[in-house]
Amino acid sequence: MTKAKIVVLFSLLLSTCLAAGQANYSVSLISPALLEKASAVKRNEQFKVEIVSGSKIKWKRKYAITILNESGDRHAEFYEYYDNLRDVRSIEGRLFDANGNKIKTLKRSDIRDNSAVSDINLFDDNRIKLHNFYYRNYPYTVEYEVEVDLEATYFLPRYMPQPFSGISVEESYCQLICPKDFSFQFKAFNYTGPPTFEEKDGKKIYTWGVKNLTPWQEEYASPAKEMLTTSVFFSPNHFEFAGYEGSMSSWKELGLFQHRLNLGRDQLPESVRKRVRELMAQTDDPRQQVTLLYEYLQKNTRYVSIQLGIGGWQPFHAAFVAEKAYGDCKALSNYMCAILKEAGIKSFYSLIKAGQGEYFFMPDFPSDQFNHIIVCVPLENDTMWLECTDQFIGAGYMGDFTDNRYALLVDETGGKLVRTPRYSKLENLQIRKTIAALRENATLEVKVNSQYGAMQQDNIMRMINSLSRNKVREYLDKQLDFATYNVNDFNYREKKGRLPVIDEELHLTINNYATITNKRLFIAPNMMTRSYAIAAPDDARKYDIEMKTEYREVDTVEIQLPVGYELEVFPKDVIISSPFGTYSSSVKLEDNKLYYYRVREQFAGQFPTSRYTDLVEFYDTIYKADRNRVVLIKKGL
Amino acid sequence: LLEKRLCKDTLGRLVVFMYTCRTETAVYKYHQFTGMRRKSVFIVFVLILSLESIGQARQEAKFGKVKPIDFQPTVYSVDSGAHAVIVADIGSTQVIGNSKGWFSLESKHYRRAHILHKNGYDIADITLYLYTDEDDEEELPRLKAVTYNLQDGEVIETPLDQKSGIFKEKLSKKLVALKFTFPNVKEGSIIEFEYTKTSDFLLSMDPWEFQGEYPRLWSEYTFYVPAFFNYVFLYQGYREFDIKDVKRRRQMFNVRDTRGTVASSHSDFSDNVNEYKWVMKNVPPLKQESYTSTLKNHISRIEFHLTEQKEPLASHKYLESWEKLAKDLLKAEYFGEALERGNGWLSDLISPAISTATTEEDQARRVYQYVRDHYTCTNHNSRGMNQNLRTIARSRNGNVAEINLLLAAMLKHLNIHADPVLLSTRSNGYTYSSYPLPERFNYVICRTIIGGKAYYLDASQPQLGFGKLGYECYNGHARVIDDAASPVEFIADSVVEQKTTSIVIVSNENGKLSGSMRQVPGYFESLTLRRRVKDDGKQEILNSIKRIYNNSNIDISEPTIDSLDNYELPVEIRYLFTMAKPNEDIYYFNPMFNEGSKENPFKSSQRFYPVEMPYALDEIFLLRLDVPPGYIVDELPKQIMVKLNPEGDGLFEYRISESNGIISLRSRLRISRTFFQADEYDMLREFFNLVVKKHSEQIVFKKKK
Repeated sequence: MTKAKIVVLFSLLLSTCLAAGQANYSVSLISPALLEKASAVKRNEQFKVEIVSGSKIKWKRKYAITILNESGDRHAEFYEYYDNLRDVRSIEGRLFDANGNKIKTLKRSDIRDNSAVSDINLFDDNRIKLHNFYYRNYPYTVEYEVEVDLEATYFLPRYMPQPFSGISVEESYCQLICPKDFSFQFKAFNYTGPPTFEEKDGKKIYTWGVKNLTPWQEEYASPAKEMLTTSVFFSPNHFEFAGYEGSMSSWKELGLFQHRLNLGRDQLPESVRKRVRELMAQTDDPRQQVTLLYEYLQKNTRYVSIQLGIGGWQPFHAAFVAEKAYGDCKALSNYMCAILKEAGIKSFYSLIKAGQGEYFFMPDFPSDQFNHIIVCVPLENDTMWLECTDQFIGAGYMGDFTDNRYALLVDETGGKLVRTPRYSKLENLQIRKTIAALRENATLEVKVNSQYGAMQQDNIMRMINSLSRNKVREYLDKQLDFATYNVNDFNYREKKGRLPVIDEELHLTINNYATITNKRLFIAPNMMTRSYAIAAPDDARKYDIEMKTEYREVDTVEIQLPVGYELEVFPKDVIISSPFGTYSSSVKLEDNKLYYYRVREQFAGQFPTSRYTDLVEFYDTIYKADRNRVVLIKKGL
Repeated sequence: LLEKRLCKDTLGRLVVFMYTCRTETAVYKYHQFTGMRRKSVFIVFVLILSLESIGQARQEAKFGKVKPIDFQPTVYSVDSGAHAVIVADIGSTQVIGNSKGWFSLESKHYRRAHILHKNGYDIADITLYLYTDEDDEEELPRLKAVTYNLQDGEVIETPLDQKSGIFKEKLSKKLVALKFTFPNVKEGSIIEFEYTKTSDFLLSMDPWEFQGEYPRLWSEYTFYVPAFFNYVFLYQGYREFDIKDVKRRRQMFNVRDTRGTVASSHSDFSDNVNEYKWVMKNVPPLKQESYTSTLKNHISRIEFHLTEQKEPLASHKYLESWEKLAKDLLKAEYFGEALERGNGWLSDLISPAISTATTEEDQARRVYQYVRDHYTCTNHNSRGMNQNLRTIARSRNGNVAEINLLLAAMLKHLNIHADPVLLSTRSNGYTYSSYPLPERFNYVICRTIIGGKAYYLDASQPQLGFGKLGYECYNGHARVIDDAASPVEFIADSVVEQKTTSIVIVSNENGKLSGSMRQVPGYFESLTLRRRVKDDGKQEILNSIKRIYNNSNIDISEPTIDSLDNYELPVEIRYLFTMAKPNEDIYYFNPMFNEGSKENPFKSSQRFYPVEMPYALDEIFLLRLDVPPGYIVDELPKQIMVKLNPEGDGLFEYRISESNGIISLRSRLRISRTFFQADEYDMLREFFNLVVKKHSEQIVFKKKK
């Protein structure tokens, strides 16, 4: 250890001692720089993770946070989850006024203990302990101290001193304390230099510390929050978990562990095996075979989630799923793999972090960063991905829930990290043709034919499969962007598959879409595809711009006008070409018909902060162009 | 026999409303949950209810007697789009003697459902609630659940695994949820459950609902009423019973007490029992529409309330009069008892709160503000206290009853007149003025009388003004809990959300148009704005005002919001703006700016039950505009004045004129009635259609030649 480091460590320990003794929480001591744009200031924090043994972690946290105003109240509440593998040993809490005088101490009887079963689970073992001083004289400070026992070394807690926007930090440190023979990896964001290190009483102690962090802020299309603020992730090279052992030293090792959890859980009853053989006999095309087997799964199972202890990571036996006809993502994916195995088709049980916009992932840091399971089937020229919890999605399509990100494929040889498909703007395609006739009373009779491809069809796919025809009508009755209208008829045709397409036909009558006065007729020819602008920021943008999804929209509109009008004002053609996308729209009048043509392309990409005003202007121009009106005047006036 | 156990029973028990219509808004974007771990990822879709024509009646079904022919229907005419149908829903309740020296309710519930489509799978997820309070409890001695599938013409049964398939979730010290799901459910499955539930809570008997999220072909309820108990039956809904029947029989009652250390006592007797039966056939679901306080007001259901006990029991009235209820509540530990004490300890809280205030009114205001600003309401659904006043004062949080009772206690401590008021919020449904039923209420406020004037106070809502109530409280009949149990009506018609906007635009020397805007929104809109200021900060809200005209050629400067801290008044929003100098030959201008109605609030083309609006409306918009220099007016929108109906319950006025180069506009939209029958719906929809149309019209200016 160098001398400089010793000094740093010493000062850190010194301040720690102060914090452990009687800290001064007087608000007047906070540096003005930390108050700017903050609703709360974390005064100090000790975050200690001590690995006691292969199957036991003691996790102690102590922090004090000053709440500056009402919008900071949300940070004053204390909560801690627990379950069968996680035990809250003790909670202490103190309340201080603006001058730092202690005015109250937490009473055990004031801690609430609630069930925290997730809405989407039938049952799990999650519970939560909560406490709040409900103090309302600003500013004030709460201090909490909590000890948690974790009965596994699989998950090492993540250190993130600013988990929310609007919080600044005076001082915070994190320590990982472990036996000499315990080895682990870590990955830090927005932290310069290595941790300090010392050995004491036969233990290794690593320390990360931060001081004077100003708040991070929420911005449109910004990178994930893990990239915006200090965060340190840990992963054990060797761990124990409910009687199982494993390693996270590589993706291969983590995959092997998952494989051990799954081992022997793929036995199918004879009735299912027989059905698999029958289905396989129907076709020789491997793609078709996988599709048939997947549809068999969709038809014969449903999603029911029961998560208890290791059951959060280990699937139910395939035989259980066959009998009960239900399971969660793990159970259904494991069942699907078993079916494919029976059919002689190679497949992978695949771990993924699912969710719209959940693209943050550390591919160079083997650890459990996943929240979902899907199935990967590598075929000759193509790979099929199967979402086994979905009753309606076509075989091989992913949508925005699992697209364009990493997945860990698991089999007996271990884990392998691969990327899932990204849908291009030619696949996320919307083509729309609108034919309308405007009556003298300003009523518009409209027929709209739209074709939606890939991610453009996700919501409509969900709607038409989940709602009865009557309910789709109710939805359409309410959701179109017109003041008063009727849906006379509608129709949907769905083509499922790796790149799904939905054709939609709508027949509408729109009241007063156009305005007809004594002399004039006002009409905006773009009825159906109007964009919505994003707001301009009030201050200088801080972070880079990340646009993840690209698409293309093509519109043609034809409107028959009542006779007797001539042109008064006509919008100019709009043509934009920018790094964010392209846009063009044009109108012409011929034979008493308005013709409108619009193409919009949105590109994906990463752009520097400095381009943000350009992005706002890009949206803004499109917003206005989409609402351009044509004005016609009665002939002979 | 025994002491009656009125109070704890009626007020302590959490009423779990089982009607699972989950359609607050029409949602078609599905929600994705990405919880902590892969423990918790799934896609959930919010279903929308619908109303369908009435189909044919089905025969009564019996548990276990499922025949191949029962699987045949794929569509039921009661609701052709239904994803699942409740073929039979049969319940009964009888009074039985228990081993605690008193009586219990024994209820049986049998249900058969036919699942037609994957989207109906959620009917296979069942949750039952069991409540316990000291000696009194609810138990589920018997539960059977079986799934039936038709396979090669044969009915295959898959029973629920009683050992590993039922999960207990402890929701609170007193409430447990039992959850299970049916095994082997597929499209076309028939599922059946049957259970018996016993309950010691005689005074909070579950209502029976004939209508719900899924259509019911046969819904039947039987209630066996012993001669020694009297009940009142309350029915609501828009449908007639298909069968309504009463029979008489004899029943033995065995009451024993095995709790004491001495030998158990028992008494056996027989008495007459009236067997009431109600049946409704082919009941479609009700769909949630806009401007509905709660579907609870409209679904077909029946509820039961014990009114008295008679011979051979000691005579006792449970449901007597509002005066008696009020008297009991005032004495009850969980309600009024604490108000009657001196509460000397309150001085320490009150003295700094009232500071130098001397008049009753000033003191009352200060106390109200103190409670409102320093105590957090954690539950706005309660009609009694779970903890004592001292604990509430110490922990600084409580439910709505606790907070407003604390307020009442403080006022009383100052010798200012204060009474609690029981009410039911709009989302909790209507109350009956003729029946003193405490369980119908879910909210407590405080009334004070100062200088002969009554003020209704709710300290549970942050930023509410002294004497103001949220619109959720305007739900008709409520009761002051004083000696007279005085009725009080909170009428939605009497609350007018009044909004005035005025804009003045003048042209200056260089032809630029500059304007000023002043708006006083209604009280509730002001409250929403105040809460946004609290959550996001004032600067953010001012910035959002600047963004209103982001997509136009209008630049806003100096936005201000006044009266933000004067909670009794609406706020006032002001700003200045400039508009680019027009240079087109023809210049079009919407005189309503951003303030016009752009959407018809009544989107659905049909309505099957009444419209309940939360308050009356009166929106005035005024504009004074200089004709831009170099232009003349070519066309002005036409003036109109329309009444909603001959009675003038609504009015829309749009007056516009030009004189000496100045254009004046006055638009007024007034709706003074809040409740409309379903057959008045078309009239409302057409009225708003006209408003939207008029508000979209343009002024056309032409360049002078």
